[in-house]
Amino acid sequence: MTTLDGSSVKKLIVACDAGMGSSVMLASTLKKQLAKNGVTVEHSPVAHIPSDADVVVTQAGLADRARHVVPDIPVVPFQLFLGDPAVAKVVKAIQDGSTVEV
Amino acid sequence: MTAYTPEVTGTGARARVQRFGAFLAGMVMPNLGAFIAFGLITTLFIPDGWVNKIAGTQTEVSTQISNVVGPLIVILIPILIAFTGGFRVYGHRGGVVGAVALVGAMLAPVALQLTPISLNGEDVAPPASIAEIGPTILAAFILGPLTAWLLKKWDGVIEGKVKGGFEMLVDNFAAGIIGGAMAVVGLYIVGPITYWITQGLGWLANALVQTQLLPLVSIVVEPAKVLFLNNAINHGVFTPLGIEQASDAGRSIFFMIESNPGPGLGILTAMLLFGPRAIRPTVPAAMVVHFLGGIHEIYFPYVLMKPILVIAAIVGGATGVLWEVIFGLGLVAPASPGSIFAWFAVSPPDQVILIMLGVIISAAVTFVVGMLLLGFGRKESAVDAELDLEAAKEKSAENKAAAKKA
Repeated sequence: MTTLDGSSVKKLIVACDAGMGSSVMLASTLKKQLAKNGVTVEHSPVAHIPSDADVVVTQAGLADRARHVVPDIPVVPFQLFLGDPAVAKVVKAIQDGSTVEV
Repeated sequence: MTAYTPEVTGTGARARVQRFGAFLAGMVMPNLGAFIAFGLITTLFIPDGWVNKIAGTQTEVSTQISNVVGPLIVILIPILIAFTGGFRVYGHRGGVVGAVALVGAMLAPVALQLTPISLNGEDVAPPASIAEIGPTILAAFILGPLTAWLLKKWDGVIEGKVKGGFEMLVDNFAAGIIGGAMAVVGLYIVGPITYWITQGLGWLANALVQTQLLPLVSIVVEPAKVLFLNNAINHGVFTPLGIEQASDAGRSIFFMIESNPGPGLGILTAMLLFGPRAIRPTVPAAMVVHFLGGIHEIYFPYVLMKPILVIAAIVGGATGVLWEVIFGLGLVAPASPGSIFAWFAVSPPDQVILIMLGVIISAAVTFVVGMLLLGFGRKESAVDAELDLEAAKEKSAENKAAAKKA
């Protein structure tokens, strides 16, 4: 459990296995939701998460690998690719500039 | 942590397999455009392709264009894979030396006159020229990264020791010598070894198809898929096997095993009608993304939520494979992403109806088994209530936030 400060997030990475399919889909959704907040949303393969990310969201099954790649960046695991509450929480924290436990 | 995101308890072994699979798939997946070009040209222009079928005769233009088919699969695609493997290890120069080394291994069967294993008692002869070789994907998996790694090591050793002004000369000759030397190693060592491994795997794969035991692979494939090993399995194992078979027979069932969108559709349909009430509204969009968009990852969480459903996926997947074995079906190229559109695009024209039926049947079987496993939705009591509560909480929090903003 770490605390994520929504107002400090400038770069959000969506990671999936290949960085080509599910992550692109979720990233395009989040890009729209966070367009007004000046947050860069990018997708990447879980093995190549850029080290300048502020927060990483990835499917729970890949979270171990993500944490291995970027041990110092908060990794938010989610279950569902559409409408997952864990992702919604992060989005809300960024939009409101509030903090959230992840 | 919500009910949707339980504590991650992934084992080290699973992550390791995932990583190795992602390493292999990472060499294949950036090149999927080439596979699709190959698939489209094949289904359109081969002798029994769409163009001739619609024209009702062997058209000259399709005869001419079909010349492209062979080189795309046996030359371009292995070279691209070797390049990508090298690129991943050591950038563009790594890619170049990896591709150079592969050409040695690619030509081993011609240079050394290796005779393939006969699969059905027919007489087989060693390839007379490059036009008769098979695709050397396995050699590309090895030589691409290995040669790039050697160049990287060499560059590390001489770093800072090169006289000013000679850097380009040294860099280029280092790449040329290492690439060229590894091409020779490829020809005499890696090429023959991977050739015999590929031949052996091809023989084994053929035996599985002949004895109709192939549906059993679903027992492994479907659970592995939902553990996010889908790319590892498909592009690490089945794509190379399928390419080998397709370059020979024009089509392969191995492209169908992992990429069949039927079982996922069956799972989602069962979830839509009989799953936990709280998550039902998320299912229709997931069905579109999965079945039409071909992003299978979207249905895995639903199976992980109700792990028993993996049985439905196995039974449905195996039914699809059995159907494909019985009718001798195959796709001409990998269907990636595993969307019904991609399947249609790489289906041979004379099999397209049977292939689509196979997808529907595997979806239907998965749905029925899934429905039984979910107890027609009546087993949804404690879990359902909990999820409902959770969703309601989230919902109210969202509403509150929205109200604040308004």
